Amino acid sequence: MPQAIGREEVARMLRAAAREVIEQRAELSRLDSFGGDGDHGTTMARAMESVLAALDAAPAAGIKDLLQQAGSAIMGCDGGATGPLFGSFFLALAEGAAGETLDAAALAGACEAGLAGVKKNTRARLGDKTLIDALEPAVSALRAAASAGLEVLSALEHAAGAAAEGARASALLRARFGRAKNLGERSVGHEDPGALSVALIFRGLLLGGRSDG
Amino acid sequence: MKKFLNDPANLVSELLEGFALAHADKVRLTGSRLVARARVKPADRVALVTLGGSGHEPALSGYVGEGMLDVSVPGEIFAAPGPPRVLEALRLANRPAGVLLVVLNHEGDVLSSNVALELARKEGLKVRSVLTREDISAGTRADPSDRRGLVGCLLVYKMAGAAAEQGRSLEECLAVAEGVERDMATLAVALSPATHPATGQPISALAEDEMVIGMGQHGEAGGGSRRVLSADETADVMVEALVQDLDLTSGEEALALVNGVGATTLMEQYIVLRRVRRNLEERGIKLARSLAGSFLTVQEMGGFQLCLCRMNRERLALWDAPCHTPALSIR
Repeated sequence: MPQAIGREEVARMLRAAAREVIEQRAELSRLDSFGGDGDHGTTMARAMESVLAALDAAPAAGIKDLLQQAGSAIMGCDGGATGPLFGSFFLALAEGAAGETLDAAALAGACEAGLAGVKKNTRARLGDKTLIDALEPAVSALRAAASAGLEVLSALEHAAGAAAEGARASALLRARFGRAKNLGERSVGHEDPGALSVALIFRGLLLGGRSDG
Repeated sequence: MKKFLNDPANLVSELLEGFALAHADKVRLTGSRLVARARVKPADRVALVTLGGSGHEPALSGYVGEGMLDVSVPGEIFAAPGPPRVLEALRLANRPAGVLLVVLNHEGDVLSSNVALELARKEGLKVRSVLTREDISAGTRADPSDRRGLVGCLLVYKMAGAAAEQGRSLEECLAVAEGVERDMATLAVALSPATHPATGQPISALAEDEMVIGMGQHGEAGGGSRRVLSADETADVMVEALVQDLDLTSGEEALALVNGVGATTLMEQYIVLRRVRRNLEERGIKLARSLAGSFLTVQEMGGFQLCLCRMNRERLALWDAPCHTPALSIR
């Protein structure tokens, strides 16, 4: 197991994350139809297609540029709140990712910056049944694993697990934010599609990091 | 749902191409799918820009034209455009007199415009913005951030647009927009759901004998569902709530806008509108101006939005000023 990931790994991870989301587009839209307008999967898939296109178009110099390309591609999508929220995560992640490689602690630091970037753009907090309910546990788990001395991909595995658990647990929450908030109690019982998108992204990042190319 | 569509991926570009063709005397497409006036307004007049998801035709681009908007940024179906295109629109509209960005209170629109406004100010553009959030379905005393922007935006486009056309300053146009925004209220009622044209999935569910007062313009579930009422009963329930919210009292004047959201016929809208007037007059409130029609739609959703706005001499003059846009003309 590598102690740190480099440019090649990050590119592979981003592509795998995009593919995970694109594959689950129908499920994401289905979940969105309970409280929103049923297009989260369409929007996320479009955003992730644009990430793949951006990665194909311009070979980035380093990790920071790669993440910036991904963030700008998502930000530029006409996807309602999705573009600015997920875009700001990757753009802030890029700001936090200095250096030619990322070890577990550096990745945790970058993800913390990413989370802060999202929080700057939304008032949603933990428990509001939004993407934050998967993202914040993932980032916390990543930091905890890094502090415990785990290598980067093992730490990412903890993060992916926490994101998946956060997305699952969001089904129990009552929407207090976004379009679904008007549903009240009726929002209980379905996972939040934004939280599931976060879980898929972390799962993809992990799978991409583990694959050989 | 049967619809005449091609590849859903091209939906927005195809609809905009047809829209620009149908209204070539008033609008043109420019840049990255921005809708602008066919004839640019003089640079000493404030420009109005708006943004919002597509699928609500004729809104929002239908209000680009003389007397109303200068540029609109259409997003994907029911989804706000991203910040880069909003910034592009602000640059396109930029002028010495300044630019007023009208934003409807929906999460995506607010996020995109906040990012775009921040970048625009860093570039030195003279931009102000107004947020429309006149939906009262969350309750009269609801947190303002819970109030969505519905069809009332067109009242802001019209009256702030007229002020801009007269050569008033950016601050004055903003004051008109904010005043109208504060003094208007909208409530929506849904009878039947719409399908999302890109996914083909229904965006809400409603039983044959139920209606929902307060459903959003993307099918977001609103207040409780209830047994379907008659036109008059529905109008009475809605007028009561709107009058309460606006605190309209005897002797005041109001504008009423009945907006059919797709499947509800003009026939039904007229029937509703006449009851709105009777109800208001029983309260001693004069219906000074009224409109019925499909101004902001939600595909084939059944239902309508009722918007009331407190009027005064200044607003009546701004309302009566001429405008020529694809979706609204006043001579």
